[in-house]
Amino acid sequence: MNNRLETYVKDNRKAFDIMEPPAGLWAKIEQELDTKKKKKPVKLYLWMSAAAAIVVVFGLVWLYAGKLQNKDLEIADVSASYAKKEVHFAGLITEKRDSLAIFASANPELYKKFTADLKKLDEDYERLKAELPTSPNQTFVVKAMVKNREIQLQLLKQQLLIINQVDDYKRVNQI
Amino acid sequence: MQGSRAAQFELYKLYAKAMYNVALRILNYEEEAEDVLQEAFLDAFTRIVDFRQETTFGLWLKQIVINKSINYLRKRKMEFVGTEEISEVPDEDSFDDSDVQLQAEEIRQAITQLPDGYRVVLSLYLLEGYDHEEIAHILKISENTSRTQYMRAKKKLKSILEQKGMRDE
Repeated sequence: MNNRLETYVKDNRKAFDIMEPPAGLWAKIEQELDTKKKKKPVKLYLWMSAAAAIVVVFGLVWLYAGKLQNKDLEIADVSASYAKKEVHFAGLITEKRDSLAIFASANPELYKKFTADLKKLDEDYERLKAELPTSPNQTFVVKAMVKNREIQLQLLKQQLLIINQVDDYKRVNQI
Repeated sequence: MQGSRAAQFELYKLYAKAMYNVALRILNYEEEAEDVLQEAFLDAFTRIVDFRQETTFGLWLKQIVINKSINYLRKRKMEFVGTEEISEVPDEDSFDDSDVQLQAEEIRQAITQLPDGYRVVLSLYLLEGYDHEEIAHILKISENTSRTQYMRAKKKLKSILEQKGMRDE
């Protein structure tokens, strides 16, 4: 029914496109195109610097975190109870070392021998400490460190005992 | 990869008028049609890299123009689901095409008097040459709505033309 209108319009589509676009429109578009062109490099530059800043910040954080991990990993980070033990031993060790140092002037040769033994243990301890951050079994390393301290302490006790006896002996002989 | 300004101007000269009329038919406002045309050309020129030659540049540009125009219409809160009263349109089709000398200009003006929903569907179908499936896709309505909307639009258009014809006589 009544398809004449339809066919007429469909056949004469061109006749319906009679309105003219405003005259100044191309100028506007051209202007917009120009500003867009200028904006683009600025934007790219901004994005690039933002990306660079992010990379730098992440790099710094990573480095800092890495340093923290490498330098500051202590026994306490692995096990609090072992750390307590270690501190306790370390305190006693300095105490005993100080006591031992008093006898140093009287028995220089003996003191030299003793400190050489202690030095070896100390080196072992430092080696263990260096191993700790990268070790797959940190508790194991910490155990060894505490054990090392304990041995140092026992050694010092024995050394003190010997040096005391030697001292006593010397004094008795002097009289 | 931006084309030269001269080439862009050539494209503008070639398509501006047709595209302006497409936008104007949908929007019915010259200011808005102008805005749409400007945005559409800018979009097309800056996104020309996206244009894969599956269709012609003209069809691609037309899609951009139509989508933008529809968005403008939606901003005006237009509903495509027909809520307009049809009662004002005589049920019986008393309009006899043969008696009326069909004039493009007359029809064009009559179309501008149609309500938004009718005008858009009728323009897309009759003048832009989309089928109801495509119109449904463009307007995000059902195909059936597009069909009924078109039928009502056509009826209404005829009644407008008829009234005009009677006035003229």
